[in-house]
Amino acid sequence: MNDTAAASGAFALSAASLARLDAVVARYPTRESALMPALWIVQDEQGHIPPSGVVWLAARLQVPEARVWEVVTFYTMYRSEPQAKYVLQVCHNISCHIMGARGIIGHLEERLAIRLGQATADGLFQLEGVECLGSCGSGPCLQLGRHLYENLTPAKVDALLDSLRRGAPLRPDTDRSLEG
Amino acid sequence: MTRDDCRILSARFGRSDGHRLAVYEAEGGYTALRRALKEMTPLAVREEVKTAGLRGRGGAGFPTGVKWGFVPAEAQTVYFMVNADESEPGTFKDRWIMDYDPHAMIEGSIIASYAVRAGLCFIYIRGEFGWLVDRVQTAVDEAYRAGYLGRNILGSGFDLEMIVHKGAGAYICGEETGLINSIEGRKGQPSIKPPFPAVQGFLKQPTIVNNVETIAAVPPILREGAAAYRRFGTEKSPGTKLWSVSGPVRRPGVHEIPLGLPFREFFAQDLGGMADGEELKAVIVGGSSVPILTADEILACNLDYESLAAAGTMLGSGGMIVIPRRCDMVELIQVLMHFYWDESCGQCTPCREGTGWLHRIVRRLRAGEGTIADLDLLDKVCNGMMGLTICPLSDAAVMPMRSFLTKFRNEFAALARRPEESGPRSRWARTTNEVIG
Amino acid sequence: MVRLTIDEQVIEVADGTRLFDACTQVRGEALPHFCYHPDLSIAGVCRLCQVEIEGAPKLTIACNTVVKDGMVVRTGSPRVQAAVTSILEMHLINHPVDCPICDQAGECGLQDQYMVYGLYESDVAKRDKVHKRKAEPIGPYVILDQERCVLCSRCVRFCAEITKTGELGILQRGDRAEIAVAPGRVLDNAYSLNTVDICPVGALTSRDFRFQKRVWLLRSTPSVCPGCATGCNVRVDHEGGRVWRLRPRRNDEVNGPWMCDHGRMEYKHLHAADRLTQPLVRREGVLQPVEWREAWAELERLVRPGGVALALAGPHQTIEELLLFRRLGELLGGPEAVYGGVVGTDRGEGDALLIDGDRAPNRAALGWLGLREAPADELAARLGPGRMAVVYGGDPAALSPRLASALAGGEFIYLGTRRGATAEAAAVALPLSMWAEKDGLLANRQGRLQALRAAIARPGTAREDWRVLAEWLGRLGAPPPPTTLAALRREVAAALELPPGIDLNALPATGFVARSGADAPAAGGR
Repeated sequence: MNDTAAASGAFALSAASLARLDAVVARYPTRESALMPALWIVQDEQGHIPPSGVVWLAARLQVPEARVWEVVTFYTMYRSEPQAKYVLQVCHNISCHIMGARGIIGHLEERLAIRLGQATADGLFQLEGVECLGSCGSGPCLQLGRHLYENLTPAKVDALLDSLRRGAPLRPDTDRSLEG
Repeated sequence: MTRDDCRILSARFGRSDGHRLAVYEAEGGYTALRRALKEMTPLAVREEVKTAGLRGRGGAGFPTGVKWGFVPAEAQTVYFMVNADESEPGTFKDRWIMDYDPHAMIEGSIIASYAVRAGLCFIYIRGEFGWLVDRVQTAVDEAYRAGYLGRNILGSGFDLEMIVHKGAGAYICGEETGLINSIEGRKGQPSIKPPFPAVQGFLKQPTIVNNVETIAAVPPILREGAAAYRRFGTEKSPGTKLWSVSGPVRRPGVHEIPLGLPFREFFAQDLGGMADGEELKAVIVGGSSVPILTADEILACNLDYESLAAAGTMLGSGGMIVIPRRCDMVELIQVLMHFYWDESCGQCTPCREGTGWLHRIVRRLRAGEGTIADLDLLDKVCNGMMGLTICPLSDAAVMPMRSFLTKFRNEFAALARRPEESGPRSRWARTTNEVIG
Repeated sequence: MVRLTIDEQVIEVADGTRLFDACTQVRGEALPHFCYHPDLSIAGVCRLCQVEIEGAPKLTIACNTVVKDGMVVRTGSPRVQAAVTSILEMHLINHPVDCPICDQAGECGLQDQYMVYGLYESDVAKRDKVHKRKAEPIGPYVILDQERCVLCSRCVRFCAEITKTGELGILQRGDRAEIAVAPGRVLDNAYSLNTVDICPVGALTSRDFRFQKRVWLLRSTPSVCPGCATGCNVRVDHEGGRVWRLRPRRNDEVNGPWMCDHGRMEYKHLHAADRLTQPLVRREGVLQPVEWREAWAELERLVRPGGVALALAGPHQTIEELLLFRRLGELLGGPEAVYGGVVGTDRGEGDALLIDGDRAPNRAALGWLGLREAPADELAARLGPGRMAVVYGGDPAALSPRLASALAGGEFIYLGTRRGATAEAAAVALPLSMWAEKDGLLANRQGRLQALRAAIARPGTAREDWRVLAEWLGRLGAPPPPTTLAALRREVAAALELPPGIDLNALPATGFVARSGADAPAAGGR
């Protein structure tokens, strides 16, 4: 029943990710303390952290599997199941609420024909409500990947959805790449 | 003194190049570090910051120089951590610092690490600030290349490594022992105290945790001196504060003002008052975890620690949420109660169960299924949550809940069913009533 | 020493004493609590052990506080009571009202503390209740009801700190938090049932004991586990002549508050279907149940002093029994015929905690009484046609084919408790008592004397071992054998040259180390 080899058998990381993992483990004071960046490396590559990955990582970092599961289930950003291509996370906390988050959520629900917490059948969009994203002065806002889209209006939402469907996402408001 | 004179923390806000090392250095960056490493002992640095009266800007307001002094003198391994987990609703000032002025945070962290004799510094950035993790890492790399990090910094003999640690979505990691446990590779659940982190923290070693805004004030203090810093603010609240302002004012965003400025003046001049068609109803000044103030109450306050405390609230993180008259206060408290229920780490029973209970009662009220007795129940639940837990998240839920209930009771009462509308509680009894008549 | 005041009483305790323990001393019972456990790290999460400390603005949890000189503490003030009442209510709002079907009823921390601090009108609307998963086995011995769990984290800390196996964790956060094993894993360390002991509610319960017996019907007899040389102290919980479960009894010198799962299952042998319940005598090749009178007659017909080539005992018998058997064996066959057992039997893997590789509870006493274990070949060589043997306890025929055929070649008397291969081949089989049916002394690996206590009645016409041995000695005309256990124990004390003043009928609570064991380990379970 407790067979690590079998349970982690299917899991493998790319050479690049393995190298990043080794570098992180070397930098952190203990193997155990490298767990969070290690989970990010796995999730960044695979889109989520599969159970076989949990087994593999637990063995590699020499921590109990139960500990890894505690961490995966405690933090909202770690996902143990495959996600849709675009996970749209709309803030529904107080400042965004005051500035119209509910309307934006309603608009998204209508445009995507799903309710908050659901995903579209084509696997393209997942709609989630989240807590404060630190964009309170520029709300309503949503998070997509590493970036935020802020000062949302229904029109901006429509433009974003169209751009995502075309595979050419609108430039996020937090994109600083042009600054160098 | 104009607002431009107060740009201690916000000198590079809004610019497209202020994050670059070259720009930062050209504008005086890293001179404070030079002064600290070459001319001062760690004790002298601590004393300077203590004299300046800098207080923690994350929410607790504890004197920073005093906190730095809690590390035992004989400690061999010390850790320094920057709390960039900014997740307090209404607060986004640390985000702006990291976005526009990451080197201010980095330089302040190096000086602080020197002051507490830390050899490893972690910058804990909430996972949702993904783009900032990249940005700060770039700045850290610049600092390494310039010799401000690593071994024998500026030939001083002081070594410091800096690691940017990405969070993964948990407000409770903003509590300093929760942050420490998170970096240890565990759930970010706060630890029982004693022991206190300055004595036994990360990996059981002395650890100091400071907020981003706090640490970004350290280079200016070291560069211009404590006396210069004290020119701003009040006796008990020296210096400037970054206010994160949200809600329908004309100019939301991050504003830097001297502590002690009357809210009236700040509201009219800096914020431009309410946007068209909006009326001021109430303000939560310190991030959501503090008691709310009505419009009348806040208009009589100065924006500093002591004045706000006297008004029955707290300066907290300075996350100022401006609430317009059109807002339903019960709806807003439901939003907040959902937040605390969502974010409770779950360790302590009063918080774990109480946050959920508060949310469910408010939700029932709003659905028209609550009674007037539920208002007393809310108060009772708050009693079972306040001052009884490992960390203040439980209190953080109670303070808005209690103050909303006290100051806007009429809105809650209006939602309660009248007794004659209640009827029998069981579905069977209701059906019986319908059949028998 | 530290001097402090608790509830108006001034006491002195050692430096470093936990305030929780100091309060227990003064109050005579522990403060309300779930998560505190003296053998685990401090969690401080249940928040129930709040006390008022003069000078502190907030209430303080006593478990995480060390006593200080001059501290003034109140454990029962109105403020404390109000807080405990509120906090207890928080524990209850999502707790299912399972008492009628929950094994923990009668020994439940929530029930007990509710009767003192609760007795509320419930303020929780039914639809507000959080539901979680129920009745899921998580291991071979343990079943989990997440909904009943109060998240005290004792089980998690046990697996992390005591067994260091880390199977359990608390997943999720907030009121969605739940105890769980890692998906795909099981809670199968050798000590898993200790989590059931320490779980204050019915979240973790024993699969073996599930729905078997209401705990308030059980009577509890202190005894010692016979499973290995550690000799964990136990409580034998019995009712209606049956044992329903074993639980550890704290002995900080031996096992702390723990015992292993295998030891807990030792009670099952007591009710095995193949118990010898009546004397058996072979007539025309077939074993027939008989009265004792007939069995004695057959015994006296078959066995003459000097005619016994092998008198074989075993390390499962008590010291009193071994003393009498040695005397009997010497009388029947001379000292060279008497052996302590078969070398290499009852051995297994030990661990660093409580399980000893020596799976017998009294092997140390064999050495003390000069009873040598020998290889099966040596024992078999003493047997043959016309040579009698007396085999006492165990099932040597099942363990060694060589010995089995040697025994089968002749005639022998078996004294024991089960109709195994050895009994099946005997000329006469006498039914004796198992460990929970008799009083007796055992010596563990530390050389510590500990006492078995009779908890249940013997089956059928089975008798106490020492009385049967004494009667046989009497029938052989030996010097008067002892007529009471107390008298027998005085002979034991003399034989072991124990210091005067040690009363084997009234051993100290933690036992008595008569001789240091050869590799006496420190108390396990810490």
